Amino acid sequence: MEFRLVRAHVVALLRDLLRTPSFLIPTVGFPTMFYCIFALGYARTNADTANFIVCSYVGFAMLGVTLFQFGVGVANERGRPWERYLRALPVSVATRFAARVIVALIFGAASAGLVGIVARLLSPVTLDAAQWFLLALAAVFGAIPFVLIGLAIAYWVPARGALPVTNLLYLLGLFAGGFFMPPQYLPSFAQAISPYTPTRQFGELLWSVTGAHDAPHAMSVLVLYALAFAAIAIIGYRRDERTRYA
Amino acid sequence: MTLIDARELSKSYGEVRALVDVGFEIGAGEVVALLGRNGAGKTTTIELLLGLRSPDGGAVTICGAEPTSVAARGRIGAMPQHTGFPDSLRVRELIELAAAHYEHPQDVATVLASFELTALADDRVGSLSGGQQRRVALALAFVGNAPVVMLDEPSTGLDVEARRALWEHIRAAADDTRCVLFTTHYLEEAEALATRILVIDRGRMLFDGTPQAFRARFGARRLEYVAPSGERTVVTADDTDAYVRELVASGAPFRDLIITQSSFEDVFLDLVGGAV
Repeated sequence: MEFRLVRAHVVALLRDLLRTPSFLIPTVGFPTMFYCIFALGYARTNADTANFIVCSYVGFAMLGVTLFQFGVGVANERGRPWERYLRALPVSVATRFAARVIVALIFGAASAGLVGIVARLLSPVTLDAAQWFLLALAAVFGAIPFVLIGLAIAYWVPARGALPVTNLLYLLGLFAGGFFMPPQYLPSFAQAISPYTPTRQFGELLWSVTGAHDAPHAMSVLVLYALAFAAIAIIGYRRDERTRYA
Repeated sequence: MTLIDARELSKSYGEVRALVDVGFEIGAGEVVALLGRNGAGKTTTIELLLGLRSPDGGAVTICGAEPTSVAARGRIGAMPQHTGFPDSLRVRELIELAAAHYEHPQDVATVLASFELTALADDRVGSLSGGQQRRVALALAFVGNAPVVMLDEPSTGLDVEARRALWEHIRAAADDTRCVLFTTHYLEEAEALATRILVIDRGRMLFDGTPQAFRARFGARRLEYVAPSGERTVVTADDTDAYVRELVASGAPFRDLIITQSSFEDVFLDLVGGAV
């Protein structure tokens, strides 16, 4: 893998996305908008609630960027003539994948960072520098399974279906994971399912930054999810390779 | 020096035999036209050479390397289909991106100039006309300075003027250090550019030789006349004078005798035996 080439692909992807405001603004701003409309009222009541909610919305932001970048983005691109041209260029799959991961990190940082700034300004959050740093680490680590879930969608769902499927999983995942309301307030059926969802474990990891949540358990479940979806994504990728490029 | 070596390539898609024992070698300095009807196997051939598909039988090497290897791809300049550009990138950015992949790329400004793109360098690719996008696609194939350049239907869909301008660019960019292989179903394109013609039909190689040999193969001239019954006779022959003498001597009545130089199209139709 050549860093010079990774950079060239990162720059090209960023330019393409940054010049599409209809992509950029909703992707980066959506979690913050949601935060202001639905969460800020609760967040202002006390520091614990404010801390809990900012952790949730940082995860919300990471989830959106990873699922949509890798799910919808890759699904749309894999059949395009331009993808065929890129495949004929002297560049490895790993290099291009690394570029995409970096771009997702940049957008994730922008989207989650905006949530953090708004929460810091408008709600009584009491995270110290070390906790913000831990939150950032948790957000990046916890986003890994969702990169792979996105890729699994991208390689198993046709391009036209990728957007609605991703949307559905995104919103259901946020709901069942306890991102819109804390898990203990979920309806009973959702409470029963919640612990088995990857989003809930992502939430547990994020909330462990400020409260008594079992981070090692959440991390190990997230690793299992990552492995499972990596396998599904790889099988889907090979299937796509066989049909398109055999 | 052999740049492309394709040996006994076979490829099937399910029941359909797309290629059957197709082989050729292409060396530096050659400009090769790969001709065939739709579905004849042109695109499959290009895909095998680009490493986008792998053959069921036979083998390809590009400058001695497997076409799927990054090493081989570094020796190939391919032309993307113009329909799929990332629209929001500017012309210069796209060409710089391609150039970044090669060891000894051409200077981007020079490439922009030689494909008449300097004035468009800061325009977004999505805003260009079809002919302009085609020039960008060609620039992408040549910017890497690769010894093997492959162009898949470089001028399909362009008007005559834009096509002729494109030919000038291809002619100028082809030189002794590289080979250019292009597919086309415009026979005049092959005639205008190629130093060698390959004809493929139903997955089989029907002809491999110079444009002169291609013409000579089925007679240099075409002769037609109409019998009193209204029946039209068309023949191709090298010596049409002798044919006319025989026709007159036979005493058979005819009218509207026309003798023309065989066109590439006549030869091609004769070869593949049907409509293009």
